[in-house]
Amino acid sequence: MTENDPKRPRSGHSRRDFLRGSGLAAATAVLTGPATAALDEAQAAQEGPKVLAGEVPVTLKVNGQEMTCQAEPRSTLLDTLRHRLDVTGPKRVCDRGSCGACTVIMDGETVYSCTTLAVSAQGSEIQTIESFDTGEKGVPHAFHQCDGLMCGYCTPGFVTACKNLLDKNPNPTVEEARRGLDGNICRCGTYIGVLEAALAAAKAMKGA
Amino acid sequence: MQAFEYAGPSTVEDALKALSGAKSSEALSGGTDLISRMKDYVTSPDRVVYLKGVKTLAGITAGPDGLTLGAGTKLADLIADKTVAEKYPALRQATLEVGTPQIRNMATVGGNLLQRPRCWYYRSGFGLLGMKDGKSLVRTGDNRYHSIFLTEGDALFANPSSLATPLVALGATATIVGDKGERTIPVEALYQVPKTAEDRELTIAPGELLSKITIPNPKGKNASYEARQKQAHDWPLVLCSVSIDGVGEINDSKIVIYGVAPVPWRSEAAEAAIKGHVLDAASASAAAEAAVKDAKPLSMNAYKVGLTKTVVKRALLAAIGNRYWEEA
Amino acid sequence: MASWPENPRLIGKNIARLDGMAKASGKAKYPSDMRPEKMLFGVMLYSPHAHAKIKSIDTAAAEKMPGVAALVVIAKEGATLRFQGDDIAAVAAETEEQARDAVRAIKVDYEILPHAVTEAQATAPDAPKVMPRGNTQPGRAQVTGKPEDALKGADAVIEGEYSAPVITHVCLEPHGLTARWDKEDAITAWASTQAVQATAGELAGKFSIPQTNVTVLTPVMGGGFGSKFGADIWGLTAAELSQKAGGRPVKMFLDRVQEHLAAGNRPSVIGKVKLGGNKDGTLVGLIAETSGTGGTRGGSNFPFPYVYTVKDLSRKHTEIFVNGGGARAMRAPGHPQACIVMESAMDDLADKLGIDPLEMRLKNLPKDFRTKIYNEQVPIGAKLIGWENRKPRGENGKGPIKRGYGMALHQWGGGGTNDKQVACTISPDGSVEVKTATQDIGTGARTILAIIAAEILGLEVKDITSNIGNSTFPPGQPSGGSTTTPSMAPPCFNAVSKARDELFVRLGKAINEAPADLELKEGKVLVKGQPAMDWKEACRKLGMMPVSVTAGAAEGLASGGVGGCQFADVSVDVETGVVKINKIVAVQDSGLILDMLTWKSQVYGGVIGGLNYGLFEERVMDPGSGVMLNPDMELYKLAGLSDIPEIIVHAHDTPEMRARGVIGIGEPPTIGTAAAIGNAVTNAVGVRVNKFPMSPMNVLNALASASKEGKA
Repeated sequence: MTENDPKRPRSGHSRRDFLRGSGLAAATAVLTGPATAALDEAQAAQEGPKVLAGEVPVTLKVNGQEMTCQAEPRSTLLDTLRHRLDVTGPKRVCDRGSCGACTVIMDGETVYSCTTLAVSAQGSEIQTIESFDTGEKGVPHAFHQCDGLMCGYCTPGFVTACKNLLDKNPNPTVEEARRGLDGNICRCGTYIGVLEAALAAAKAMKGA
Repeated sequence: MQAFEYAGPSTVEDALKALSGAKSSEALSGGTDLISRMKDYVTSPDRVVYLKGVKTLAGITAGPDGLTLGAGTKLADLIADKTVAEKYPALRQATLEVGTPQIRNMATVGGNLLQRPRCWYYRSGFGLLGMKDGKSLVRTGDNRYHSIFLTEGDALFANPSSLATPLVALGATATIVGDKGERTIPVEALYQVPKTAEDRELTIAPGELLSKITIPNPKGKNASYEARQKQAHDWPLVLCSVSIDGVGEINDSKIVIYGVAPVPWRSEAAEAAIKGHVLDAASASAAAEAAVKDAKPLSMNAYKVGLTKTVVKRALLAAIGNRYWEEA
Repeated sequence: MASWPENPRLIGKNIARLDGMAKASGKAKYPSDMRPEKMLFGVMLYSPHAHAKIKSIDTAAAEKMPGVAALVVIAKEGATLRFQGDDIAAVAAETEEQARDAVRAIKVDYEILPHAVTEAQATAPDAPKVMPRGNTQPGRAQVTGKPEDALKGADAVIEGEYSAPVITHVCLEPHGLTARWDKEDAITAWASTQAVQATAGELAGKFSIPQTNVTVLTPVMGGGFGSKFGADIWGLTAAELSQKAGGRPVKMFLDRVQEHLAAGNRPSVIGKVKLGGNKDGTLVGLIAETSGTGGTRGGSNFPFPYVYTVKDLSRKHTEIFVNGGGARAMRAPGHPQACIVMESAMDDLADKLGIDPLEMRLKNLPKDFRTKIYNEQVPIGAKLIGWENRKPRGENGKGPIKRGYGMALHQWGGGGTNDKQVACTISPDGSVEVKTATQDIGTGARTILAIIAAEILGLEVKDITSNIGNSTFPPGQPSGGSTTTPSMAPPCFNAVSKARDELFVRLGKAINEAPADLELKEGKVLVKGQPAMDWKEACRKLGMMPVSVTAGAAEGLASGGVGGCQFADVSVDVETGVVKINKIVAVQDSGLILDMLTWKSQVYGGVIGGLNYGLFEERVMDPGSGVMLNPDMELYKLAGLSDIPEIIVHAHDTPEMRARGVIGIGEPPTIGTAAAIGNAVTNAVGVRVNKFPMSPMNVLNALASASKEGKA
């Protein structure tokens, strides 16, 4: 933790580099939460885009519904969904964009919500597992029937990845299904059931 | 993750202004590298400038002189592109094996090229050179994933960009914009070997943005081959991209290797070895031998020498459709 | 003696789990999903150093940070931190971001002590002291007969060294809980645990409040694998923070880094083995010196020799302590390591003797009830894998891709306890509840209870409410050691049977029939074999008073002790060292199988866990800095779907096995997989790859050193 902070600046750029003759030395307008309204419009126009800092209102369109909360620029989409909006289908597991448990569909594409900032997700259509068809033709049903889950903690991520895969490719081959779900990790070892579920769901959707 | 200011510009001009307006700033694109680095406190910028709102940075354009990839082009779009599939199999193959479907939906060409090393010492907070108390932890530690070339120096990490390898082989250039205007450099010139812990491995200057990559029309054939431990999400242990100037005797080739040096490693030795020969199993093997002749592996990665030999040989043979390793 | 129904309607069939839809639709609320009103976020501060002493700790600045509601110091001045990840302090704040900032504002002055984080470092002559009692704890050699003489007289003797690294549990839901003080002597906790009652007990003990006032809730949880048997320091700290914050709930779940560092691991193994046999394959002598590390906690010993009988033997185990997080039970503790060492040596000896390793295994089976089990299972597995295609070591073709086959046998107990209880309530509205303070860690425990109840009551599984994961329910089994089902099925059977009997007595009175003439079938009550009324109508006759029975285990419904064998078919690219698994076969007994669907999932899961152990997993410690280099889920490698081969699970489900009653299945199928893979890789490439995992590095290194020695 704290000790992992390297002693020297590792990246980013030194102040000197920037201020050297650039006319941009004056601080860019910063929007802090409580001070949002206090933005100096004139200065902002001169300095470029709006800059957010501190707790700011964040509006997300989740499963077709606008949801608003306070979050920081550094708050991830995942943490904002789980901690502030009680959308707890997506799970936090690796928290570094490797395991897929946090997968959501953003503007039609699966993404890792743990490495997406909530502020960046504003204006996007976010779909989470909570919105999926739970009927017999839906992906969740196939996972249930094929026992593509055990403890179930990776399951929302798999179901979400699978739903998006089938939306894009309704007839995946076994190989395509495998590759399409390679962004998710299960520790209980339910992969056989997951693969069966993906193929069963494809079949069920065709019968729709 | 430390708190930071956030800007989401929609033009390159605003992006440059935003990048320059804070003491330290980082450009955020797909986020697959930067967000994790910030979570681990390896990188703690005062400001993050989100680039996906800058629509002009994304997109693939085919022209008479080649192909232009906006730096903000998502890897998934690169893979889906027809021209890439037809003309640049080396690029497509290497991109196809990056990360996971989710990562390829998020990550961009620019982000892949400018990601920071995966070296686990760097990621653990020991700096780019992996030093503690002035001594290299890497040299005496677990260096299985580190370099086998340029190991006399202190930079022992391996360049992490899977896209740089084929792009260098294909002779691509990178266009960089800054407040002083635009400049275009070969992709290999994006990288340098840091000599001290204060140096960076990327040459792009503070306040600059990578805007696009231009790949000239391929002259002959190109291919990539990689070896990795897992078939699902994993990093290549070694990846090689080659480009050769056609059938018959080879006059001009580029053979570039990932996973063996702190920069995309152009193997001039291998290129020299194959020059004047018709590409076949024997000449590919000779080039592969030459590629590793001067390798100086570290304490744990001697296995990479033989592996590199194989990967170079296979990349060359893949270019002429000889995939002997797939035969039963 | 009770007995299971002879021709069950539900038991042993493929039955989808009761909570499967809730899990598959994202609606199941895990302990880490809970956000009770006014909840605070807890974050741990843990040691960045492998070995250090706290000179001073200053929390003043942290306490003043925005949003901070409570702070607890765990390791005070003078405390020694023995591994990276060791707990120091914790903060609860309004947001998680604030809590993280605050722990970073705690100023700790460390006296850094020299560390030993690898087995080699800890056993070096000038090694720094890891534990006050020393770095090793050598066991005494256990000697039977005269092994040295026996080896001298053997037709062939092999000498091998086989090793596997420390691996970590990587439960997807991190360790932790959310604790809330309800009043001054009562706590509610939503915990990700394998033992609700033990967790309640720990919380009660820590704060000296009545255990009856502590409610631990685990309706579902995200994996434990042996590492989640209590509140842990983190859970206790959450409760302490909550107390300090005036009872506001505090959520404390570890981050992924600390999960790897501190939340348990499977000890490493290094086995030096001399094994001798006669031409016919009979083992005659064994000398084994083994060691391993369980970090600061120990626990690396394992049963050895494993499975097979050797008359003359000597075995010595040395426990090595390193500055690493303590080991915890992990799916079949000790057995996978034992299996790797034993089965590798078995194959090497068979190769030296020039005989089929399968035949050699059958020659040396233990003389007990498992002999017959193995003799039945091995030919089935051999047929399913295509053992007849196996060629002797090193004769696997001229191209770079070499095909190889390997196998391994394993064993496990899997018996239960007989002191647990289940309550069964049949209400006048026809609803049925079974409840007990066990929990479902993904095994299907919840569903198993409902299947038993539905079987006995002639109902459907969905008609049963199976309430578990609550510490205030009747005593239930902690989920470990494959003991849950054999511990919980008998009391469930007993409680539901007794409830049915009471229902018959009361119903008989109401309709003037003898209870002995009543039966339950397909949702109906039968009188003298004839359908008389449906279930709900019958229950209405209970009037206002439900039937409610709490019962313990009935005799004769469960037992323990299983065998099992696994086979692997692999292709190894000897130019890259990359291993591709073509197929794995698992033949497994576990007595009476209650739900074939979830049983198979357990076996698949065990095999995949073993595949990870065989091919990918490794905790990498840096000798220089003492830190773990891969505390993530990326360079700590775990299989994804493209890494999963065809897996054939054969349930050894014979009438004889069924007659043994219920036996657990969680651990056995994970034991033999890695060993079978290692043997298959070795068979393919022609030289022993003696270091796990079977990574390109380890495979290529084995080939290179064999080539140096002129062996390949």
